[in-house]
Amino acid sequence: MDDTQGGAGHGKQYAIQLVVNGDLHSVFVKANTLLVNVLRNQLNLTGTKKGCELGDCGSCTVLLDGKPVNSCMVLAVEADGHEITTVEGIAQNDQLDALQQAFIDHAAIQCGFCTPGMIISARALLSHTPHPTEKEAREAIAGNLCRCTGYVHIVDAILAAAETEKKEV
Amino acid sequence: MKEDYSVIGRSVPKIDARLKVTGQALYAGDLKMPNMLFGKILRSPHAHARILRIDTAEAERLPGVKAVITHKDVPAKKYGVSPARRDENIFCIDKVRHVGDKVAAVAAIDEETVYRALKLIKVDYEILPAVFDPVEAMAEGAPLIHEDFPRNINVEIHQSFGNVEEAFARAFHVRKDTFLGHRTYHCPLEPHVSLAFWEGDKVTLYATTQKAHYLQVDLARQFDLPMGKVRVVCPFIGGGFGGKAAAMGLDFAAVALSRITGRPVKMFYDRDEMFTHNRGRHRQIMELTTGVDRDGKILGVYANFIMDGGAYTGNGIATAYYAGSLLPLSYVFENFKYDMLRVYTNLPGSASQRGHGAVHPKYALESQLEMIARDLGMDSLEIRLRNRRKPDTVTVNELTVNSCKLETCIETARKRSGWDEKKGNLPRGRGIGVALGGFVSGAGYPIYRTNLPHSVALIRVNEDGSAATLYTGAVDIGQGSNTVLCQMAAEAMGFRYEDITVVSADTERSTHDFGAYSSRQTLMSGWAVKRAGGMVKERLLEAAGVMMNVKPEELDCRDAEVFVKNNPVVREPFGKIAREYFVKNGPLVGHGSYTPPKLGGDYKGGTVGTSPAYSFSAQIIEVQIDEETGEIGVEGVWDVHDSGTVINPALVHGQSHGGIYMGLGEAIWEEVKFDENGRILNPNLAEYRMPTALDVPMMDSLAVEGFEPAGPWGAKEVGEGASVPTEGAVANAILDATGVFMDSLPLTYEKIWRALKNKKRGENADPR
Amino acid sequence: MYLPDFDYYAPETLKEACSLLARLNGGASVLAGGTDLLSHMKNELISPKALVSLRRIKGLDTIAYVAEKGLVIGARATHNDLAGSQVLRERYPALPETARVMANNQIRNRGTIGGNIVSAVPSADLPPILIALGASVVIEGPNGTRTVLLEQFFVGPRRSIIAADEVLAGIVIPDQATTGSAYCKFGLRRSGALAVVGVAASVVADGASVTQARIVLGAVAPTPLRARQAETLLAGNAVTESLLEEAGRSAANECRPISDIRGSEEYRRDMVRVFTKRALRKALNIPIQHTGEGT
Repeated sequence: MDDTQGGAGHGKQYAIQLVVNGDLHSVFVKANTLLVNVLRNQLNLTGTKKGCELGDCGSCTVLLDGKPVNSCMVLAVEADGHEITTVEGIAQNDQLDALQQAFIDHAAIQCGFCTPGMIISARALLSHTPHPTEKEAREAIAGNLCRCTGYVHIVDAILAAAETEKKEV
Repeated sequence: MKEDYSVIGRSVPKIDARLKVTGQALYAGDLKMPNMLFGKILRSPHAHARILRIDTAEAERLPGVKAVITHKDVPAKKYGVSPARRDENIFCIDKVRHVGDKVAAVAAIDEETVYRALKLIKVDYEILPAVFDPVEAMAEGAPLIHEDFPRNINVEIHQSFGNVEEAFARAFHVRKDTFLGHRTYHCPLEPHVSLAFWEGDKVTLYATTQKAHYLQVDLARQFDLPMGKVRVVCPFIGGGFGGKAAAMGLDFAAVALSRITGRPVKMFYDRDEMFTHNRGRHRQIMELTTGVDRDGKILGVYANFIMDGGAYTGNGIATAYYAGSLLPLSYVFENFKYDMLRVYTNLPGSASQRGHGAVHPKYALESQLEMIARDLGMDSLEIRLRNRRKPDTVTVNELTVNSCKLETCIETARKRSGWDEKKGNLPRGRGIGVALGGFVSGAGYPIYRTNLPHSVALIRVNEDGSAATLYTGAVDIGQGSNTVLCQMAAEAMGFRYEDITVVSADTERSTHDFGAYSSRQTLMSGWAVKRAGGMVKERLLEAAGVMMNVKPEELDCRDAEVFVKNNPVVREPFGKIAREYFVKNGPLVGHGSYTPPKLGGDYKGGTVGTSPAYSFSAQIIEVQIDEETGEIGVEGVWDVHDSGTVINPALVHGQSHGGIYMGLGEAIWEEVKFDENGRILNPNLAEYRMPTALDVPMMDSLAVEGFEPAGPWGAKEVGEGASVPTEGAVANAILDATGVFMDSLPLTYEKIWRALKNKKRGENADPR
Repeated sequence: MYLPDFDYYAPETLKEACSLLARLNGGASVLAGGTDLLSHMKNELISPKALVSLRRIKGLDTIAYVAEKGLVIGARATHNDLAGSQVLRERYPALPETARVMANNQIRNRGTIGGNIVSAVPSADLPPILIALGASVVIEGPNGTRTVLLEQFFVGPRRSIIAADEVLAGIVIPDQATTGSAYCKFGLRRSGALAVVGVAASVVADGASVTQARIVLGAVAPTPLRARQAETLLAGNAVTESLLEEAGRSAANECRPISDIRGSEEYRRDMVRVFTKRALRKALNIPIQHTGEGT
């Protein structure tokens, strides 16, 4: 790699396809392009945040084929052909997901920077563990750091959303 | 709540919650502008070094780079938070003073190019001897960090009230301990970002800042611009905690680079750069002496502190004063001496962090008081009740306290935690500890000398009265000030909060306000909003009186309906009256402002610690220690707060939880560590360990019924007061669980393990 | 953060991957989940000119019991694949239990067993329990396949016997008589923490006696370490509290920890003593008392 060349305009470009929130996108990326940057910069989905870029804080959590991952630690080329869900894909048109509503109702959002990642992790939890215990809820979000809430209202919201979804079934 | 308010006291959902929960909320890092460039700062790899030469030629030649700047390209004026301590340059001129100090900056077409360009800047340094400890920094022959500050003494404080020597002489028991408070960091989830652009001779800066006004002032001063040509706007902010509370190199560099390139420039920090910028909690050596009478009443306290200020002052000068001034807040004593030395070292600067200066000293006082209680055979709650602050009193250092419900807080915490059943009866390794809190509801004096009001608010009702806009300079950093002020506007106007839009934190498009620090906005911005709403209501009722043929005094307005007070079936919609008002008189507006009364004593530093009101709290924490490993499990947390009238209970409890969370993190897990060359060993979120959801328990937070006469509707603060007692409560719980007295922070598992080992060794040792 | 650019290959077979690596002659790194590799690259500790990704190679992530062979785990099985595996839970429950205490959920959905082994980080959690279970690794190279006992795989911190043109393809855990195994991880918070000390134990017990024991220590030596003297102390003896304490002290003596930002040497040594006992108790199914039983 020639470090005397400029940045993103130089270097081999790869054409990849990502299904993001149900929509097929074709984008050009470099090998070193991270999934989080494709989402935020090229697809304008800025809901996914960058808090540490080393996979320690969970602000960048998205679903990759239904599983929560840190999108800052996934190369875009590795996600070629896969399905991604970001926070923008959680609501159904203008209908908020039960989790989103529960976060609002239980004051689980302060600065909101961790919120997208939290919602994604919690969404994955409820999709395969519809009746989580408090411990299971905490385990699901243990990779999502929050500096504002102490997790109290967030755990309340996740358990409340589980109840709501249980009733809706 | 005794009063029947329409929206005050209700846990209404945050007005920005939906935007945040759908990912629509735009934070500074999300903003994009046409033709925008990206920028970063080049940092020094050395703790103390002379800059011999900076060669930017190769960096400038890299395709995509639009500008590379150093001190030559920006005003050489020094800046700083306090006019008394302007000790920092945008880029270092002659030397760098800490690893991470600012040397140059790059603007380029994409992030990757910026990083590559930074690597191509060549700097020749002459490494100088560095010093990393405040005591060493004051010693003979230590390297001088700032030429104007001999012995590296940045701030020196000597305050004396009453006569502590005399008090100690007649005391029944005097205890002297030295405590060590450690260096921690705010670590907001959102890294700093500054996006600047020029339109002609006016610059706009979108900044992650808690203080739009002060940043505007500093930018105007630095670049010799009139205030009207500087606009600072806060997008959504991902937490501040005191770390986004001063103008930064990033702000100045963005302004400079955008002028030079003629394009918007978005500057940003990575997580490790957040750590090297720092300006977090000071490391402190605290020698504390307290004398009590035979009943445990405190007769005098002598606090002799040394703070590691790092390389720059920032608002650390205020921190140095706060470290002493709030010690006499929760406890009453008539004799108090405070000596403080804030010392420069070649480490990143320390400054304000949640609880500003009061947190480590509180840990020291609470731990010492606990040991005094043990020495006297007194109960932990009893000694606190004996010495607690009472309402309508003045502290020894002349801070005036109005409302104070500490006794209720203590008794309520006692019941809710099961203290009486638990204390002394818990199984081995389990313990319960208590500490009292107290904090300002807004600093009594601004950061620079000015007669500007502290908060101003403006409300404009739209033409048909179906909506209103609240303009406030208050900054919502996540604590929910936009929501709370919206509720206040609705209450004051008699309107519906759902129909109010808040335009905030924009020095051009909202109003003047000093911003989010010292927990001031609920009280101070709140007063301005209340008065603005009151003016709207007054004008509306005037018009309504004419329309309804009733005297205005006989009318009231609530939930967007005007009604006759003693015959409420006679009512008209707000909108109808408002529209009529607009047609006859023009826009229906109201404005209000707030300036605190003159507060504090007439001694040097007497302004710091002043506030129109103080919150108080009692916090009890229960821990389980694994005595083999020293691992600390936090099993229970009870916080009972006197925040006066609670405007939004859910948000108040959220602040309480968050404050305790930070307190727990700082007490047990967090510490910024350095190597022998002044480099941070753990500038990341793997090794700077904030507690995860598995590390902290559910928390029991309660606000007692109270009323603060100096607060709007009786309200006062909660955001910082909740983190003030936590370190002390944890230390006291560990003492109760294990019998070991922990005199240094953080209270890590290894430290507990070592203390238990030493205790056992001591027990097994020959008692003779 | 800055991730330097590189050439990227995603071959479809292991053979292709190996010949690519051979051609690139030491200038390439293998990419599985990337959770270790990418953070290393972002911290500018390594700058490979090329990455050879395993993502297109089929069948590299299966977990199955193969008769006559044992448990076969593909290198690309993620930690959450291990945590949720039915067949693992039935045969060697300590393995999914170990996977569950690694990093956090997001990392576990990407990080792989192959990566955790090949990165050869002294504090890695899977190697100790795998070694205690007698695991071998299957290594694919341009000249064919070789199988190496995992215990002999590690050379030092971030160094192993794998060559630049080889790919770790899978892990085999042979059928072995074991009555119980366990891994105890001691970290500085309950999630997202590297092991300060990790102890794996696998025992063959006959009633109240231990016939055979394997004790493997992590994070306290340049590589995972068998505490052989502690093992010898246990073999053929009835399990008593004092025997466990003896084994713990022996293991503490055998380890070679360093002092770093996570803990001092002295602390780690004593934690080896404590967690050797706890791992043995777990493996032997003896309830753990949670009082301070002396330091």
